Amino acid sequence: MKSNITNEERANLALSFDSILDKFIFWIVVISLLLFILYPVVMVISTSFFYRGTFTLDNYKNLLNSNNLKLIKDSLFVASISSILSTIFSFCIALFTFVERKKIKKLIYRALMLSMISPPFVSSLALIILFGRRGIITHNLLGLSVNPYGWQGIVLLQTLGGIPLSSIMLISALHSIDTRQILASRDLGATTTQTIKNIVIPAIFPTILSVLFLSFTMNLADFGTPIIIGGKFKMLATETYMTIFSSGDLGKAAAMSILLIPPAILSFVFYRKNITNIDNRATGTKALGSENYDFQLPIWLKFVLTFITVSFFIIVVLKYGSIILSAFSINTSGKLTFTLKHFEEVKFAYTPAFLRSIIFAVIAGFVSSVIGILLSYYTHRRKIKGMSFIEFVSALPYIIPGIFFGLGYIVGFNKEPLLLTGTTAIVILNSTFRHISVANKATNAAFTTIDTRIEDASRDLGASKFKTITNIIFPLLRPVFLTSFINTFTACMTTVGAIIFLVSPKNVVASIVMFKNITNGQYGPASVMASILILITVSVNLIAIKLLNTKEMY
Amino acid sequence: MNMKKFVAFLLIFTLSLSLVACGKSEQKESSDDSSTPVEETKDKPFEGTTLSVLLAYGGAENSFDKFTEETGIKVEYLEMSTGAALAKLQAEDGKTEADIWFGGGVDSYLNARDLGYLEAYKSPNASAINPQYNDKDGYYSGLALVPAGWIVNEDLLKEKGLEAPKTWEDLADPKYKGEVIMADPSISGTNYAIVSGLIQAWGEEKAWDYFERLNKNIDFFAKGGGEPLEKVAAGEFAIGIVAITGGTYSVGETSPTSVVYPEDVIPWTPAPIAIFKNTKNLEAAKVFVDWYLSKEGQEVLREADARIMARDDVDAPELMKDLDKSKLIDFNLELMGSQRDEILARWKELVGEK
Repeated sequence: MKSNITNEERANLALSFDSILDKFIFWIVVISLLLFILYPVVMVISTSFFYRGTFTLDNYKNLLNSNNLKLIKDSLFVASISSILSTIFSFCIALFTFVERKKIKKLIYRALMLSMISPPFVSSLALIILFGRRGIITHNLLGLSVNPYGWQGIVLLQTLGGIPLSSIMLISALHSIDTRQILASRDLGATTTQTIKNIVIPAIFPTILSVLFLSFTMNLADFGTPIIIGGKFKMLATETYMTIFSSGDLGKAAAMSILLIPPAILSFVFYRKNITNIDNRATGTKALGSENYDFQLPIWLKFVLTFITVSFFIIVVLKYGSIILSAFSINTSGKLTFTLKHFEEVKFAYTPAFLRSIIFAVIAGFVSSVIGILLSYYTHRRKIKGMSFIEFVSALPYIIPGIFFGLGYIVGFNKEPLLLTGTTAIVILNSTFRHISVANKATNAAFTTIDTRIEDASRDLGASKFKTITNIIFPLLRPVFLTSFINTFTACMTTVGAIIFLVSPKNVVASIVMFKNITNGQYGPASVMASILILITVSVNLIAIKLLNTKEMY
Repeated sequence: MNMKKFVAFLLIFTLSLSLVACGKSEQKESSDDSSTPVEETKDKPFEGTTLSVLLAYGGAENSFDKFTEETGIKVEYLEMSTGAALAKLQAEDGKTEADIWFGGGVDSYLNARDLGYLEAYKSPNASAINPQYNDKDGYYSGLALVPAGWIVNEDLLKEKGLEAPKTWEDLADPKYKGEVIMADPSISGTNYAIVSGLIQAWGEEKAWDYFERLNKNIDFFAKGGGEPLEKVAAGEFAIGIVAITGGTYSVGETSPTSVVYPEDVIPWTPAPIAIFKNTKNLEAAKVFVDWYLSKEGQEVLREADARIMARDDVDAPELMKDLDKSKLIDFNLELMGSQRDEILARWKELVGEK
């Protein structure tokens, strides 16, 4: 009897320490999201209510004029098409990967990881060089003189840009389907297509939704693509961005950016509703089965999937090829001359900028993945009240154009006690909190395929909540962690828009230097910087893949 | 099992990092504050001071070493387009960390002046500069002159059997239809200066009639001043309307482009320099402005990026020898600033959704 009581007391003590730790982590997640996402967003929007210090609603009087309504309509149109297309193509690539041999799987997976690296402006430039009016492919090879400027161009670039992340999320999801379900379906006489329709698609439907929602919000807030390739076609994000630069009218621009929020809220509600529905349905599925089973696609399907996958990778190779080629060559009047001159121009003085880029991006990648996973855990596993609001907050930086998220940090953190402007911390914090949504959405999708009973078992066996997080949740979510780390790391290495206002002379990063080269028309050195950025990102991503040992993913 | 520990470690490490990051930067800040002049010598009274420069003058960074050598004042810089800088200033409510604003579109300087972000300073050296380039109250001074002109893609012109335009009137010739690109003047300060300059040179009626015809040759307006240069270099358009600096010429080293000055009139803007009101290093900032407006400073700056310098006693760079200065428009900058909204509204009406 006696010893029983002491054991229980000890357990209670341990439990209370554990629940304090658990609460502590919970509040850190909540407070950090409120402070570093909601607060700056609210602050930048609040600038729309003031004109030189006095309250005014001027910016809202004409907000819903016919011009802006057309912008909203056009933006929704383009964002929907691009996100649907990129989801469809990603699904094809994911399915192709799923049924391929292990070696090829690995190859495609890594190639996708690498193709996420897409330095802004340089990629668009490369695509113009390939597909533009005088593009190497469209003009020189096919003899066409297509005009890529317009909504079709935006859709093309956004679709291509969305495929890597979407495919990776879908591949992870496909591999977490319980293979026994597929085997059972096949054993019961269902054809491969039937199995895909009845087993595979329903099982990864939450991930499809996550992917769709992510790419929709990203495309809606994307201003870089329409600026370069939009031509006459205008989108809301681009217009808000330009309102800042054309009239220098921060207030009006902030008011316009509010127009981006309702469609995003609607899509978020739709996403939430569907993902929770499925949450309840899928209770016990996690890949456990054997790997050797017969899953042959019909020839026509196989052909379509192969065609899509191969085409995508050809475009990727061409894109990188043209960047690397312009780093090593000079192209005058159609004559290519190889040279190392551009490398000489990229001085060693840039080394600190590269180092800073790496350090900032590694920190941002880790922290945002951890917070994103925890956020998902507290929202969907522990189902703590009010967390769905916090989850929406975490998606805000993807909904409003990056430039506002950057400006919000300046408006919000330029006074005591929150004086951060000009520091290194503000750059890292901004990069970190901008990308929480990816980790969060990827985790949500993964949770739907992970049996809650594994966690229950862990707790029944006496593990604390904290231990459950570190010993069960995180190891199970390793592929998610990896995807989200690589996404955030890659984005940080190449981002310009959000941090262009936050860097100070002391902490310039490589992407900003590269941006400067491009705006000065120095494409050679810019291509060198882009190539170095790509190399660094590839190496770090490969290290991350090694460290997190993703063998179990397949 | 190792994995668990590793992940747990990551979790703790990263969470603590996010907290430490805040603390660290504050420390860093305080140590920066103490970096006021250490040694005071007669000829270099500000030795050890560091000035922070917001830069929109491609190539100018190459001149900073020389300045530091002469004065002992260190320079840190950040490149940022003036439009972006103005947005940043507004977000910070003028409490910028930078001391000096260097180069870029003069209309942003006019805006910043009106918002009270700039410090008035009339450098003794400013008297050697054409008063047209300077603000009359000294809120900014002109460093150099940025003429407007065209960049043409020789390959494309050859392919189409066209010659490079010689005058603005040529540019509106229907044979160039779809081959001209220009930045939206509501976004690009230089392109607004071109529109405003032509209006001042030709008078309202002639200028607007011209824009209407020019508009027919333009498929769409670029969203930034640097874009026409990119697009012409990439072979997307044959002719780009651009601000001409050393950088415009250097594109020609890697692509089949060349620079053309209009033979009739040449619009221009000054590349200004100004001191921010919020500066904590006002005296050192004045030394900086004085130096860049001195004959020596101007020559050093010309070497860093080839431009026509503001001082008449500094020769034009070799690259721009063929620019005929007499063709430069007699440009009233104040008028350009005050008419901006009006001109852009009419412009928008003219071009519509482009």
